[in-house]
Amino acid sequence: MSSAETGALPERPSGLRLRRIVWHWRHDPKRELWIAWWTMVIFYQLFGLLFFVVTRTQPPPEPSWEPARVVQWFDENRYGLLIGFAFVFIISGMTSIMNALIAYSMRRMSVSRAFAYSYLVIYALSTLPGMLLLAITLTVGAMRPDRDPELVRWIYDFAFMTFDGTMGVFLVGSLVWMVAILLDKNRVFPKWFAYLNLCNALTEVVVAPAWIFKSGVFAWNGVITWWIDVAVFVTYTIVFITLLRRMILREDFGTGPLPELSPDQALASSGLMKAAR
Amino acid sequence: MGVLGTRQADGEIILLWTLPVLGLIWLSAFLLFPGFVRPMSPRMSAEEVAAFYRDPENLARIRYSMILFNWFAVGLIPLLALIALQIRRMAHRTPIFSYSIIACAAGGPTIFLLANLFWLLAAFRPERDPELTLLFNDLAWVTFASQVGFPIAQSVIVALAIYLDRQARPVFKRWVAHFNLLVAAALTPASFVGLAMGGPLAWDGLLTFWVRNVAIALWIAVMGVVLGRAIYRQRDEEGATA
Repeated sequence: MSSAETGALPERPSGLRLRRIVWHWRHDPKRELWIAWWTMVIFYQLFGLLFFVVTRTQPPPEPSWEPARVVQWFDENRYGLLIGFAFVFIISGMTSIMNALIAYSMRRMSVSRAFAYSYLVIYALSTLPGMLLLAITLTVGAMRPDRDPELVRWIYDFAFMTFDGTMGVFLVGSLVWMVAILLDKNRVFPKWFAYLNLCNALTEVVVAPAWIFKSGVFAWNGVITWWIDVAVFVTYTIVFITLLRRMILREDFGTGPLPELSPDQALASSGLMKAAR
Repeated sequence: MGVLGTRQADGEIILLWTLPVLGLIWLSAFLLFPGFVRPMSPRMSAEEVAAFYRDPENLARIRYSMILFNWFAVGLIPLLALIALQIRRMAHRTPIFSYSIIACAAGGPTIFLLANLFWLLAAFRPERDPELTLLFNDLAWVTFASQVGFPIAQSVIVALAIYLDRQARPVFKRWVAHFNLLVAAALTPASFVGLAMGGPLAWDGLLTFWVRNVAIALWIAVMGVVLGRAIYRQRDEEGATA
């Protein structure tokens, strides 16, 4: 099977990046996993660019603004919103491939398939309330700048509170991943990563007061509900992208414990990480 | 048989026992929400609906109960994944029914989460124009009441899977299939909620509110018990063959 395939591998070309990519496409037994991993890396880059730079929806604007100020915000960001979210609509399906890779990590563990299935289903639904509702409603808002300001603020609240206030999917999803890692005997991830999942789950508890407060540290743009949560989420994302990469490098397509990285794999890995920095 | 016998089942018991805890949370949130204990009527005027959200005592209970639902409604999904795994053990030729359940699993919780967001939004800025609060309130109630499609499909799929599980010791007993069809029937009238402002079909009515919600609660409780039995029996059998 896979060992026969790896046994017959032609030598990896060095040199041109394009030739290396072609080699992986043709011969790399892990190409499916790498496609999913690169999808994840590219998605988060685009996500950051579109939400922080193009649409200016992150960090979020003030929840305490009067309707007139909200209308002004829509005016200032009109084309950023309309164009930025058009790109969000194009790339939103990438999340399915990313979720597949995370579900695969649980399938590779010694735990029941129920964990991978649960995660896949929970995160399949997370994009709609957690991201697309914001993009759709803000597009609707930006399309007609002359709408009644009260209605514009109705849309504005709808957009930002569904984005921040969809908590359960990420809470339960992270807990499912955490329990799977804690029970796993195949050493797919280090146990400390389970607790980082717990931190990510707790950010969804911390964000709940945004449903109540319109200014201060607990508002939807507050120091606690936004800045700390984003700091945890960014750390969490960087860590799981790194750990998933190590998982793919270690993958032996067996069912037992994942082998540790060999010394030269580890070296190549750290070299790449340095290059990436 | 050796390799197949050591099926990966770690963690299923943990996922199963989250259910009674979640059930308790769901029940408390249901009782805490002032709009459920005496369900709000669709006949309420915009001013009455706005007053309902502006009442300080109501407001806190609306927010806390809906935040609880927002956190924990999705917790139902691991239970559905466990049901899918039990259906996979049935004497079927293909995994069609277990795949169907997996594909269906996101439906119910996602739609409930949408209704939940509308309620929370109505409570977010209760001082807004009453007509706009009414709009959020209508969106919440109609989303909550009318969206029975995925739960109906889920019950019918489980029933079909059980009827076709033709083996000496089926995974679930026959009555579970009959029960699922009964639940599917009990959920159906709620889809007509848009036609009635009062009476049994209205969103606060006997059929749409009480029959439908009791059917959903019963389905979760009964499926939790039969699923638990099936999982423990499976563990005993596999322990015996190992």
